Parts: sequence; structure tokens; C-alpha cells
Amino acid sequence: MNGFPERRRVDSGVLSTILLVAGREFTTRVRNRIYVISTILIIAVIGGFALLQVNVFSKINTTPTYQVGFTPQTAALAGPLRSSTSGVDVHVTRVSSLASGDSQVRSGSLDALVAGTPASPRIVVASGVNGTFQSALLSLVQDNELTAELRASGLDPSKLYARIDRIRVPVQRLKPSHSSGYQQPFIGIVMAIALYIFLGVYGQVIGQGVVAEKSSRVVEILLSTVRSGQLLVGKVAGISAVGLLQVAVIAAAAIVFIVPNHIFSLPGSAVGTIIGGVLWFVLGLLLYAQMIAAMASLVSRSEDVTNATLPVMLVLVIGYLLALGVAVPEATASVSGGELSALAGPTTILSMVPFFAPILMPIRIAASAVPAWQIAVAAVLLVACIVGVALTAARIYSNSVLHFGARVNLLEALRGS
Amino acid sequence: MTEQLLEIDRVSKRYGRVLAVDDVSFEVRSGEVFGFVGPNGAGKTTTMRVVLGVLAADAGEVRWAGSPITFDTRRRIGYMPEERGLYPTMGVAEQLVYLARLHGMTGVAARRSARDWLERFGLADRGAEKLQKLSMGNQQRVQLAAALVFEPEALILDEPFSGLDPVAVDLMTAVLRERAEAGVSVVFSSHQLELVERLSDRVGIVRAGHMVASGTVDELRATAARRVWVDAPLAGTDWASELTGVKPVRAEGTRMLLELGEGADDQAVLAAALRTGPVHEFRPDRPSLAELFRHVVTEEVAE
Repeated sequence: MNGFPERRRVDSGVLSTILLVAGREFTTRVRNRIYVISTILIIAVIGGFALLQVNVFSKINTTPTYQVGFTPQTAALAGPLRSSTSGVDVHVTRVSSLASGDSQVRSGSLDALVAGTPASPRIVVASGVNGTFQSALLSLVQDNELTAELRASGLDPSKLYARIDRIRVPVQRLKPSHSSGYQQPFIGIVMAIALYIFLGVYGQVIGQGVVAEKSSRVVEILLSTVRSGQLLVGKVAGISAVGLLQVAVIAAAAIVFIVPNHIFSLPGSAVGTIIGGVLWFVLGLLLYAQMIAAMASLVSRSEDVTNATLPVMLVLVIGYLLALGVAVPEATASVSGGELSALAGPTTILSMVPFFAPILMPIRIAASAVPAWQIAVAAVLLVACIVGVALTAARIYSNSVLHFGARVNLLEALRGS
Repeated sequence: MTEQLLEIDRVSKRYGRVLAVDDVSFEVRSGEVFGFVGPNGAGKTTTMRVVLGVLAADAGEVRWAGSPITFDTRRRIGYMPEERGLYPTMGVAEQLVYLARLHGMTGVAARRSARDWLERFGLADRGAEKLQKLSMGNQQRVQLAAALVFEPEALILDEPFSGLDPVAVDLMTAVLRERAEAGVSVVFSSHQLELVERLSDRVGIVRAGHMVASGTVDELRATAARRVWVDAPLAGTDWASELTGVKPVRAEGTRMLLELGEGADDQAVLAAALRTGPVHEFRPDRPSLAELFRHVVTEEVAE
């Protein structure tokens, strides 16, 4: 055959076709300059925030330094005091005499002067005294007195203190409750908002991708070799993967910047909440991205994509408003009041509705113990809904993607031409 | 081995109330070039889309090598849609490789084939560029390469010559003939009837969704009314009107085109012409495809 290579054909199945389509979306978009630059910019912003936090805000918020002078008589208290004081950063200096100490307090170079004797010291200040410092000094003197008395009675103070330190008061809870408190519904809310933002950005990218294939007419060649459903799923998967990669890179950068600098800390129990949240996130993404792709296939021009996908985004906004208006108040009430029955309200039912479950379930799970059957019902309904939506979306897509020009009526696309 | 026969069997397709394709049948053998002609809106594109599975037929069947065409067999057909389209911002070689792999080629074979076809079309050094950077003519070449890159067993080309410069037309013609000689079944549509006549082994004429004539150009000629040119300068204008079954069509100078009806004898016509004086020319008329097309299409309209 004219020196051309002999036919080399592999029987590509459904999955490898979807992977080919997804792979093209992924590789062409990941190399896109705007994508790379925007990712780097976001990481730079996070890095800048971390630097600012460490170098500027931390200076503003750190424990204040407290300059304390000790007369030669009270100098013995200086060392133990510095090591036993927390909450205020005590800087210890020795003054040569009471008079020079007084004048340094007056001039402001010292915040306080400890005069008197080690057993009964006296604090000299210009006007106000730092309470933390004052109580630290008081307990130091009391401890010294107590230790001396114990020794005089022939007891070993270090043994006694060790025994006292071991005393615990256990708590017995009659109702289950999350011990880590307020931070967890916060995680659920963050995940819900993340889904909303992600779909806001990447939903549009998916819609634009569908219309771009339509307006460049390449879709006709594609449909002569790829089933419309495979094309749709591959496209959604490829673009979603690009978005998830960006989120993962940014999250990793955030962890690298933030955790070593102690800007923000997560309780260990939050990790499970986050992993669960990611699962709901992916399911929600699958559900909404397919709907967006199907709606976008109705139009032929990129400027119409936002309008065409508006109904889908509205459903998402309703879910989001339900989260803020119903689920969050109930969730926070249940955490602060320990009142679980509050969650038996509308949120319980709404969180099992497939279109809202990806937003409401993470909030509920983060806030309180959700019965396993409710999670199972929500997950099963959601997966069933995803399958149904995927089939419907493929139908709308294949019926409208070859109609160039005027917007295709949704009902006509559903019915088929 | 079963012959790679592409059969379109009584296919119909309706858009709402419009019957775009009505009971259209034809077949294309391996190594055959089938020219598909007809006025705009006659149903050529719809028929091709049905063959490719881009549209579903309402009735009828498309068969490949004797069995109904399936999704897998369709992937062996190269398609060039009337509305050209590739990815404008994707690399030229990259998208050829992608399309070849979608049609089932392995990555290695796809890359080699893409390189070979780009070389063949004089685009070997443009493979890394984005498609939109290429001139329109070169984009058309890439489009053809996209239909050929996966070594298809059949080619369906919708208006492959429209918008091509003469050099590209020659290239396209050569490639199609060469592919046919390699055993590929080729179906193409065009309005350039001289080109269709020159390139096609067989021709199908569609009008308003119907296949009104199909066969080799000679077969189409045989079905057309017999006509003869007679140059008898001294005969005058109405010498032939007395002959039974003979109808004058038109005159060009001293030459007359006569249509011979059922039972008319061309030898009787010649004898009658000779009786008027000398006869300089007497030959059967060989209508071009363009004339046959015009005849078939207008005749149907007149009914």
C-alpha cells in the first residue's frame, strides 16, 4: 500500500476510548499557559500570605515583652520567675540599687521592679501591673514557702508534686458528642463552598469545551468514531481531572507553607472528615458537570454558555443557600449545645436529596454523628441520580451537538429529532 | 475473504415534516470511486451522515461486507464532513495522532502514519504548529489527512473539492485514485460535474431525497434518450419534422440535434438527410455528466 504502514488496529474498548478523550482534554489543558500561570499565581498568593503571617502579623500578636528589674536582695527570684512565667515574655535585668531601679521604672526603661526580700517581695510599677506577671510571682513565692515548710516537716516536696500532677478528673458523657468542637462543621462548610467555587470555574470550562468542539465542527468527525456518551464522559472526566490537579497542587502548597509555620492547625480527627468530604465533592462534581455539559451542548456560541448553564448553577446556588440558611445554623447549634435532635429537622431530609447531598452531607457529617443508614441512602440516591443524569445528558448531547446555529430546545433534545 | 462491499439499502431519514432522504439505495465495491451528485438539499450530506452513524436512519440499512454496519466497522471509514472541522489550537501532528488512535490505531502506528501523510502533503515541517497557524489550503490538506491517517477501508468525503485551489484539487484527485487502487471504497459528493465524471467509476444522482439515476456514466447515457447530430447544410430547418418519432432539439449553425423517440430508425434519418444534399456530419450525441444531470433533474421537476 504505497509504502504506508500496514494496518495496526487494536480493538479499543469503551474505557480506552474514554481515556483517550479524557487524556486529550487533560494534556492540552495542562500545558495551557493561562492554567500554569494562574496556578503559580495562586500558590504565590498563599506563600505571600504565609510569609506575611510569619513576619508581620505574628509580631503584632506575639506575647508582649515585660522588662523586670531585680534588686540585689531579690535577685534569687529572677531565674525561677523567668522559667515559670507563661503568657508574658519576662526580660530579667538586675539593678544595682533600689534607687536606680525606682528611677528606671519612672523613666519607663523598666516595666516593673521587684524589691523587698525573696520571701516577701514587693512590685514597684509606674502605674499599672501586668496581672500574669503578678500572679506568677505570687505563686512562685507561695511555692517557695510551701517547699520550705514541707522540707522542715521532713517530707519530699518533689514526690508530693509528682503525685498531685497525676490526679485526673474523668468526664462521663451520656450523649455522644464531637469532642473537637467548632472546627469540624467549619470543615464541612469549607468543602461545600469549595465544590461551589470549583463548579463555578470548571463548570464554565467544561461548557466552553463542549461548545468549542461544536463551533469548530470537529464534533462531527469525533461522532463518526466515538459514541456521544463516551465523548461526554471523557470530556467531563478530563477537564475535571485538570481542575482537581490544580486544587491538589494548591492544597499541597498550602500545607507546605502553612503547617511548618503553625498558622493553622487541624485536629487529627478532621482528616477523616476531609477524606469523606472529598468523596462527596467528587460525586457532586460528577453530577453537576454532566448537567453543565449537556446544557452547554444546546448552544453553538461560547458567549451563550453562561446562559445555557444557568439553570444548573441555580440548583447549585439553592443547595448552597440551604447549606447556609438551614444546615449551618442547625449544625452549629448541635455542636455548641450538644443538642443532636436539632438535626432531625429539614436538613435530614434535604441532605438525602441527590442534588443537595454533596453540599449538605459533608456539613452534617462534620457537625454530628449522622446515622449510617442516612449516609447510605444519600449515597445510593446520589449515585443512581448520577447514572440517570449521565444517560439523560448523553441523550441531550447527541441530539443537540450536531445542531449548529440557533439554540436547541431542551425538550426537543430530550425527545430526539 | 468477503468483498468489502458498502451497501446503502433503502435508507430514509426524516427531519420533522421534511423527508430528507427517501428510500435511497446504492452500493460501492472495494476499489470503486462513487460520485454522489445532486442539487443542494437533495440529501447527500444526510445520507453520508447516516452511513457514518452520525445520524440514525428512520428506515433502511447500511451494510458492510454483507452484514449490518456496526459501531466497530464504522471506525474503519474515513470521513470528511462538509463542514470542515478540527481543533484550531491543537498541534497538527498531535491531532492526527489523536484521531488515528480514536479509530483504533496503536500509538506507534498512529504517529508513523501521521508523519507519513504530512510528508505526503508537503507539511512535514509544520506538524508541531497549531492548526490555526496554517493557511486555509494547508488546513484543507490536514483535514484530508485526518480522514486518511488511520488507513481506512472506505472513505466518505462530503464536498472534498470545495474551497480547494487547483493544485490541491490535483493532489486530492491523485490521492483518491491511489486509495481506490489500493482497494478502498470511495464515496464523494461534488458539484463539479466534470471532476465527478473524470474521477468516478460510478455515479449516483439524487434529487429531493430520491436516487433518480445511478450507474456508470455510460449506463446513464444509455438510459437517456438517443440523440444524433446531423450537419446537412442544404436541408433547411424543418426537413426532419416529417420523420416519425424524430424531434428536433436545437440547431447550432447548419448542425441540428435530433432526438430519436421510441421506434425511430437512425438509418432512416441519415437517408432522409442525404436526400436533401450532402451530409458533413452524422454522429450520436454523447452527453456529458453535466448534461445528463441537468436532464435528469429538470425532467423530474417537470413531472
